[in-house]
Amino acid sequence: MGAGRDIALLARRWRWARRSLLPHSAIPHAPPAQPREFPTEWARTPAGQVARAGVQQGGLKPVLWTQTRPEVYGREHLDGLEAPAIFVANHSSHLDAPLVLCSLPPGWARQVAVGAAADYFFDARWRASLTALAFNAFPVERRGGTRVTGTAKRLLGEGWSLLLFPEGTRSSDGWMQDFRSGPARLCCGGGVPAVPVALRGTYRAMPRGRHWPGPGRPRVVVRFGRPLRPEQGERPSAFSERLTEGIARLWDEEETTWWEAQRRDRAELLAGTAGPDAPRWRRTWESTRPDRATTTGPFRTWPE
Amino acid sequence: MLDVDERTPPLIVHHGEGFSLQQFPLGTRVVYPPDSLPGLPDVTAAIDAALDEPIDSPPLDELLFADMRLAIVFDDLSIPLPPMRAPDIRQRVVEAVIERAAQAGVDDVHLIAANSLHRRMTPDELQHILGERVFRSFWPERLRNHDAEDPDDLVVLGETGHGEVVEINRTAAEADLLVYVNVNLIAMNGGDKSVPVGLASYRSLRHHHNVHTMLHSRSFNDPPRSAMHHSYDRMGDVVADTVRLFQIETTVNNETFPPQFDFLNTREWEWSYRQQGAYLAAKRANELAPAKVRRKVWQAVEAPYEVTSVNAGEVNAVHERTLANVHRQQLTEIDGQADILVFGLPYLCPYNVNSVMNPILVSCLGLGYYFNMYKNRPVVREGGVLIAFHPVPWEFHQVHHPSYVDFFDEVLAETTDPAAIEAKFEQAYATDPWYVHLYRTSYAYHGVHPFYMWYWGAHALDHLDDVIFVGANRKSVRRMGFRSASTFNDALEMASDSVGRSPRITYMHTPPLTMAEVR
Amino acid sequence: MVLSLELYRSRSRYVAAQATQRISGSLTAPLAPLRLADRAAPTPPNPAAWARLRPRLSGICGSDLATLSGKSSRYLSGAVSFPFVPGHEIVADTLDDLDGIPARTRVVVDPVLSCRPRGLDPCDACSIGRTSRCDHITVGHLAPGLQTGYCADTGGGWSRELIAHRDQLRIVPDHISDEAAVLVEPLACAVHAVRRAAVLPGQSVLIVGAGTVGLLVLAALRELTQAGDVTVVAKHRRQRELAWQLGASEVVAPDRAITAVRRATRAHLLRPDHSPEALLGGLDQALDCAGSAGALDLALRSVRAGGRVTLAAMPAGRTDLAPAWFRELEVVGAYATSRNGTLAPGEADDFDTAISMVAGDLGPLIGGLISAVYPLDCWREALDHALEAGRLGAFKIAFDPGAEQRRTGPEAVPEQTADAPAPPVPLTSTGRDNQ
Repeated sequence: MGAGRDIALLARRWRWARRSLLPHSAIPHAPPAQPREFPTEWARTPAGQVARAGVQQGGLKPVLWTQTRPEVYGREHLDGLEAPAIFVANHSSHLDAPLVLCSLPPGWARQVAVGAAADYFFDARWRASLTALAFNAFPVERRGGTRVTGTAKRLLGEGWSLLLFPEGTRSSDGWMQDFRSGPARLCCGGGVPAVPVALRGTYRAMPRGRHWPGPGRPRVVVRFGRPLRPEQGERPSAFSERLTEGIARLWDEEETTWWEAQRRDRAELLAGTAGPDAPRWRRTWESTRPDRATTTGPFRTWPE
Repeated sequence: MLDVDERTPPLIVHHGEGFSLQQFPLGTRVVYPPDSLPGLPDVTAAIDAALDEPIDSPPLDELLFADMRLAIVFDDLSIPLPPMRAPDIRQRVVEAVIERAAQAGVDDVHLIAANSLHRRMTPDELQHILGERVFRSFWPERLRNHDAEDPDDLVVLGETGHGEVVEINRTAAEADLLVYVNVNLIAMNGGDKSVPVGLASYRSLRHHHNVHTMLHSRSFNDPPRSAMHHSYDRMGDVVADTVRLFQIETTVNNETFPPQFDFLNTREWEWSYRQQGAYLAAKRANELAPAKVRRKVWQAVEAPYEVTSVNAGEVNAVHERTLANVHRQQLTEIDGQADILVFGLPYLCPYNVNSVMNPILVSCLGLGYYFNMYKNRPVVREGGVLIAFHPVPWEFHQVHHPSYVDFFDEVLAETTDPAAIEAKFEQAYATDPWYVHLYRTSYAYHGVHPFYMWYWGAHALDHLDDVIFVGANRKSVRRMGFRSASTFNDALEMASDSVGRSPRITYMHTPPLTMAEVR
Repeated sequence: MVLSLELYRSRSRYVAAQATQRISGSLTAPLAPLRLADRAAPTPPNPAAWARLRPRLSGICGSDLATLSGKSSRYLSGAVSFPFVPGHEIVADTLDDLDGIPARTRVVVDPVLSCRPRGLDPCDACSIGRTSRCDHITVGHLAPGLQTGYCADTGGGWSRELIAHRDQLRIVPDHISDEAAVLVEPLACAVHAVRRAAVLPGQSVLIVGAGTVGLLVLAALRELTQAGDVTVVAKHRRQRELAWQLGASEVVAPDRAITAVRRATRAHLLRPDHSPEALLGGLDQALDCAGSAGALDLALRSVRAGGRVTLAAMPAGRTDLAPAWFRELEVVGAYATSRNGTLAPGEADDFDTAISMVAGDLGPLIGGLISAVYPLDCWREALDHALEAGRLGAFKIAFDPGAEQRRTGPEAVPEQTADAPAPPVPLTSTGRDNQ
């Protein structure tokens, strides 16, 4: 009897819906709660690395390479580049991160950590664990705050390379958005080289809202560019502009040719990535224009 | 066309979500659908050609200019039946039009489904019709269903000489160019039915969707002899005076069933062993399947239709060619009328795509659509008997057909006479605020829609002496004022009261669809 | 000694009856805690004001059945005294001379045992004639009991003899048949319910249930008010036919009721999760005449905001009262009958109104509601028939306590009342109409 009553008494303090136990009168005395970051170190242990290699090579890559037709260019620019480096890519699809990871030479792929949105990928425990394991992801606060670059800096210091998407979110219509300054600040602060990466066709293949690539093995392209190094005393904003231009040039190279891309000036290049200045439907319409090569897959969109 | 003799095998008869082989009496005339026509070899080229060289109209490119407002209106999911295997022809045409609009720098584009008083289409259904690319670019701000109860988005264009008010969708009517993309499954569709009906409000529809026009449409699939189409034409003239319209019409062939069901597309005596096996397997599987699975499988059927024509330009000129193409595919000549007309009614009619075929829709399909698939004279003589195969389950889709339930329970329980129903109940249902609410915000057919379904059969009810359903739910058949028989032979026995002991019997072997020209 | 059907306290029987009543009346009837016994004749507490009665017919009421099958509310168990003889719808002959009522007069009984029969000074309610609201039903010189038929001391209609106070008796005009007369009490209750509902001219009304109560309420509604459309919810075919005859504007099946009312009133439908549909908008008034949880639920859900729901039948089971709160409904009880209360000058009270209705054109129709009459010793068959009345196309089942014991042999079976599908050995009282 006594035990039962004790349990009943004790149960009064159980708060099933995570309601605060803090008495109202004690609020002024309590230290403010620090938001806790999801721990991802375990994913970078040797065991984690082995597991990740298995997931990437045994799961992600076969799926990606059968459901889409990736073409990878510019890997030669990585020769002779010493780690750590920051890979900076445009972002329009969930395909982007796995695609870059699987396109990197194995040596590089092992030591790249991916910055992932804390509010999207790290809000639920199961999703956070999976993301951390499969992509070696670490949480990035998109809303700013003290920890925006903290973890990234620490990882660079430990010798990890990073894959960052400076647009901060997937594009809603396939075109490139303005870059945030975080990656450039990291480079300038640590003297780390940045590798521009342009991703094309991933929006068409699997835009926001889709959970699997579209039919017909859509063609997707990964282009690595020449690494950029921050000059002595270069301001992060200036470096960020160079980065944008680098990606825009790779983007243009995909549209036209390497030669034509070289001859364009900065404004022309940026206009090419920003898409038409038109209503949303036309921007979407343009970025979903079927790729001629896409139509030759086993599932044709148009029976000719 | 075939006369049943001692060598004729039993023939396939559709029976709702099922089918069976049925032995017909000797001498029964069987009307088969004509062979499926070959599809166009290059549809893309045909679309481009139609848009570049339209009939009685400047090319589409000349009608498009920057800063214009373009409205693209397309037929809803009620046609074709079954739904067309992706890509739907509407998707291909709409994409071609949008491509040209984008090149011309047109920014203000609206896509509107011409669903009239039909239920709104779900996003998935819109995506099936228009394809993912169009859907992703336009949904939801610029791609939507027509709302016949939105007072802000309706405009009165004028009145016809007969005092018929023409009220249609404002966005479409006030666009600088209205492009209508149609699929012409039967001769009733298309032409002046497209804009004046597809985009109309109840106020405008009541001028032609009523018992009087239905009784004077002999048949409504033969526009020159259809009072309903005469009204459409008058309204079409009003539309033509005020709206810049560019009509694109397409027709498909008779490839109604996918390859695994191709025995339904083939004449029974030509069945290969594989097809006989397929019949046995499909019938057995269909009977064993739980009702839910069965419905899912049937509703998932997509027709491998091929496109037989694409025409664009001025409505009437275009529709003339379209009708010729529909007739080329569907018309069969018949000598003389029969005493008994036999149909097997399939699982699908225009108003139960992804839904339930309720008794009213069964009646509409049999007495409305199938009965009216004639030119010149009905297939069955006046005072003849219609025997239809369908289980007619007492079953309604609660979301799609809320007013049907009440119509069946309240209206048909009192009377089945279309004119009496129209006079007493139509107004109350058409303006019921709850039905209006469901039509606008849920996926419900409009409150007045079951009335139209019942009017659709008015001509047949007037013409026939008796309607007998074979293998049907007795209660629901009786509610509609028809009779039910458990077997075909019983039905013939019952019919002998009206047509005697040795009637001339005609079996319309559909679907695929056929239209009888009775001499 | 008097042959009586006696209801006694038996927990196991209650439980058994309760458990089986959903399955079939033919299981429930024999399990009811009821027995046919020879009881000592009830003795009048005051011979000057009390008379002995010999019942001619005694009806089986829905509340009797609910009591027998353990369905009735526990709340009422405090207002009865065991063992008692049920039966409160009584037409009987008096055996003693009373002031103004000589012996051998045909009377009907107002069963409420209010202050006067109990030998008390009138309570506040009784003093203004609202005997149904009497506060003294458990005290006085009688055992507790809200009505004759629930009181251990008075006896009840399901016996060959009972006693009643002068105040409870109303003389039946000669041209009224016994069948019609036995329905005077339920009709008076219906009149009372309609008066409690206070239907205004032109108001639309829903009557839930078309058993005896529902039909009598419908008749009273048409007789006493200028109600507009009256929709009747009827489960069975025979009920529908009679509802039409008695002046219903619309008759619907229970599962169609909400949608039909919605159609008629152009209301909006509310679709809660895991709960029946309800209306936003709806009819002005509803009367629950079935007494089941589902019926009251339907009434509450089909009345417009601010409308009135009248409980004309004894409510059983649990009902979700959220609609009453949310739609600000008036829920009005209507129990038994009242002598005066709010009557206009010159207006007859509930019982006299009922008697004059029965005496008029409605008499034969109302008398026709008696579907079968059984002798007391066929009580199991009678209760079985009554429990399944709706399904069998029957309405009111009555006992003829004076009838002889069961006779054997098919030739002894008298002809049956119209519409009653062959109950085992019903007696009819056709031969007694001319007395």
